[in-house]
Amino acid sequence: MALIEIQNISKAFGARHVLENVNLTVEEGELVSVVGYTGSGKSTLISIVAGLLRADSGQILIRGAKSNGFPARASIVFQNYSLLPWFSAMENVRLAVDANFPSWSREKQREQAARYLEMVGLGNAFDKRPSQLSGGMRQRVAIARSFAIEPEILFMDEPFGALDALTRANLQQELAKLCSAAGRQVTMIMITNSVQEAILLSDRIVPMTRGPRATLGPAISVELERPRLSSQLLRDEKAVRIQSRVVEFLTGFTHGAKPPREGKAPANRMARVRSAEAEI
Amino acid sequence: MIANRVRNFLLPAVGILLVGLIWWGASVGLSKDLPSPWKTWQESKLYVLQPFEKRGEMDQGIGLLAVYSLVRVAKGFLLGIAIATPLGFLLGSSQTMRRMLDPVIQILRPISPLAWLPLGLVMFRQSEPAALFTIAICSMWPTVINTMAGVRSIPQDYWNVAKVLRLSPFKTFTRVLAPAALPHIFTGYRLSLGIAWLVIVASEMLTGTPGVGGFLWQEYNSLVYAHILLCIVTIGLVGFVLDRLMGAVEARLRSV
Repeated sequence: MALIEIQNISKAFGARHVLENVNLTVEEGELVSVVGYTGSGKSTLISIVAGLLRADSGQILIRGAKSNGFPARASIVFQNYSLLPWFSAMENVRLAVDANFPSWSREKQREQAARYLEMVGLGNAFDKRPSQLSGGMRQRVAIARSFAIEPEILFMDEPFGALDALTRANLQQELAKLCSAAGRQVTMIMITNSVQEAILLSDRIVPMTRGPRATLGPAISVELERPRLSSQLLRDEKAVRIQSRVVEFLTGFTHGAKPPREGKAPANRMARVRSAEAEI
Repeated sequence: MIANRVRNFLLPAVGILLVGLIWWGASVGLSKDLPSPWKTWQESKLYVLQPFEKRGEMDQGIGLLAVYSLVRVAKGFLLGIAIATPLGFLLGSSQTMRRMLDPVIQILRPISPLAWLPLGLVMFRQSEPAALFTIAICSMWPTVINTMAGVRSIPQDYWNVAKVLRLSPFKTFTRVLAPAALPHIFTGYRLSLGIAWLVIVASEMLTGTPGVGGFLWQEYNSLVYAHILLCIVTIGLVGFVLDRLMGAVEARLRSV
């Protein structure tokens, strides 16, 4: 049985139809990336799957059972870190550990938090407040917080979207390491606008069409050896082919969905192609 | 450096001097009954230089009188915010409650302490509880309104964090909502304390209890007008210090 089934999800905000008939099945232990344009409704989709937002129609099944609210043994990494600014890095992580393992002693909870903070390279920043940390370090705390509760399902909503390119690349590598180091089967859905990031981390890539009425395209599986290195992926023939398939779908669909009108359409089309390339 | 000193000390001193001059001018030209600054000092010296001397029920050093008033204000203020803070949280988190109680608050808020005090005297038949009641009910509104605004302005992110970390309602409140709303709440406390101090004079005047306000009213009745001015200056200074103290606490909270 598939671990997560997203069935016919539609969502509108007033007259703006964001998602229409979104379907996706994620197997246990799989990492699926949803790639699409900024503002196409990817974040809306993950908020619905994580139970933070209610869909207008359709349903989410976790292990075959209808899911209401945030699924059990799940965790989420938000784009904007969402750390509590009045707590230190340690306290932020320990709060999550405490809420999920209430029977553990304080000492054990602290050890767990410390272990995961060290894993993301923050061994010497336990007592720092988020305001004293850089963006990359804040996201490391958020990632440590998500992994420290030993989730079975991990949602990531553009986890590196707010970071500069170098920090982003570093953290992607570390996340890849963390996933394999976790040793358990963590099922992940990641939202991203970077095709490279998706290729680096995922088993399958699902492109999302540009909204309104966005929906998911056919999945493209990423059959590449792990560990993957972003430097290698630039030259790897298979990786390049996957990348062009995703990009072709994203740009191609845009052309198909809205046939160019007379006159100003061509310029518009060029702009769309360019914006698609800019994300990559 | 010198420019800073001029800004911070010299200019305020000039301002105070100016008001002193106007006061003096008024005492000479406008009203013969208004004591001049110098006469006020001459007649108040005893109370200022021996601030904690107790010579009789109402005949006490100005420091001691201020302490009585401060204790009364503290009690009324604490009573007020003890009611106002939970009420603010309730209104901030429930739209139904907000719809229901907002008109009531808007109607109760502008009522003067002079109107509440007789009602308190009728209800409690004693001056002290009536004074506390008046201070509490007049000073609680800024705290209610600011706490409500603080809770409403908590970003959706924090609610989501509480949800995805699976925090219990208690932990959600103590670890997320209360710290997030704290700076707003303290703004409410500062404004409430200001009002509580404003109300003290009215309530002491009408109840005749010892304190700065009570003393002011008694000295008016005894025709010692200089002491009215002494009380006014004292009330102003104490209020200023209170506001600065609360402001300092508030600034610390905001810097987190």
